[in-house]
Amino acid sequence: MVYTRKNQRDLTGAERRTFVAAVLELKRTGAYDRFVRTHIDYYVADGEGRLRVAHMTPSFLPWHRKFLLEFETALRRIDPTVTVPYWDWTRDNSPASSIWNEDFMGGNGRRSDLQVMTGPFAHSSGRWNITQSMTEGRFLTRDFGRPRDPITLPTQAQLEEVMRERVYDVTPWNSTSPSGFRNRLEGWASGQGNDRFRIHNRVHRWVGGLMLGGGSVNDPVFWLHHAFVDLVWSRWQQRNPGAAYLPAEPPPLGDGQYRKVVARHQPMAPWGVTPASMFDHSRIYRYA
Amino acid sequence: MIVPRRVALRSLFALAVTAFTGGALGRIALRAPAGGPDGPRADDPHAFDEMYGGRRILGFSGPGGEPAALVDGRPLHLMRCADGGYVTPIDHYESCPTPLAAVRAAVDEMGTAPLSPLAGAHGTPTDPTGGSPRGVHA
Repeated sequence: MVYTRKNQRDLTGAERRTFVAAVLELKRTGAYDRFVRTHIDYYVADGEGRLRVAHMTPSFLPWHRKFLLEFETALRRIDPTVTVPYWDWTRDNSPASSIWNEDFMGGNGRRSDLQVMTGPFAHSSGRWNITQSMTEGRFLTRDFGRPRDPITLPTQAQLEEVMRERVYDVTPWNSTSPSGFRNRLEGWASGQGNDRFRIHNRVHRWVGGLMLGGGSVNDPVFWLHHAFVDLVWSRWQQRNPGAAYLPAEPPPLGDGQYRKVVARHQPMAPWGVTPASMFDHSRIYRYA
Repeated sequence: MIVPRRVALRSLFALAVTAFTGGALGRIALRAPAGGPDGPRADDPHAFDEMYGGRRILGFSGPGGEPAALVDGRPLHLMRCADGGYVTPIDHYESCPTPLAAVRAAVDEMGTAPLSPLAGAHGTPTDPTGGSPRGVHA
């Protein structure tokens, strides 16, 4: 049975409650923190000379599609009516947007230590203790728009520009790929100041706090962000039905990316699924 | 287990000394790659030592010549990017031109808590299919 992922702004109060309750239950069992840890363990930067499956790499999109599916499957074992909603940050682009209300994601961090003080994921609620993180801080942090050097969320026009790419990815298959849908959507760019942070990367920067680092999954908005990134990829696939995942074949010996990236039919750790097998989600879920 | 009082006291004393000096000794030991036993190595291209944002930040060359850093004595992984810059586990999205700039950027964003052990080695290698031996996977 194909299920539907909805825009978070269209959820009913009851749907917001059931999503939050399922996430809190996953946290209570310890399973949530294993998702946090997986994301930490698979972050490899592209100058380190090692295989990259999750970031700065062609498999950024299928890796996160599978990661979301694993999370969603875990939520649906708790409550079969739950799906992961998406956050269209081109539209709900302000700290006043309802996504940050007390009954859903909760609000911004406070000034003194960036600690989130409202909503179900505030440490004071007693149900959201951070255990897998880059610091020993135990509370969720956010720093919307980074006031000391302000940045805005990506716009519809900026996203549309990315949608006009016609090729999935290009050499050298990393954060310096000069074109291609994957790197444009992931959001690596050269240049100065905030212009370096585009689309997906810029959203992590805008939320700030834990969303900025390896422990970004500690902020549940991670999933809503990546559901929208996945939706954008899905729409791009519909627009470009002939544009397959690249690279089709592993880069050969002698290529700088030899054994550094995952080709179309190679397995992605930790699940062993291939990018090709992640290409079509239409029999599992759809986007409303 | 019955432990003679004298032995127990001696052990307690040893523990206390270790606890008391551990931080300082750890810092000296970790600084050794930069300074070495013969004194400071002025030629270490990755050496820095300053207070920044209320934190002591220290840079030196690691065993393979790669840049390494400590924040208040705790390791912060410097991740090399293809553009020649560095990101850290605290801030994945700002590729900084130098290790020092990357460590400062991390201090800007890390809040008030000390670094955790996870910040020291991130995306640790790996089997042929990638990922980390520390990974806990459902």
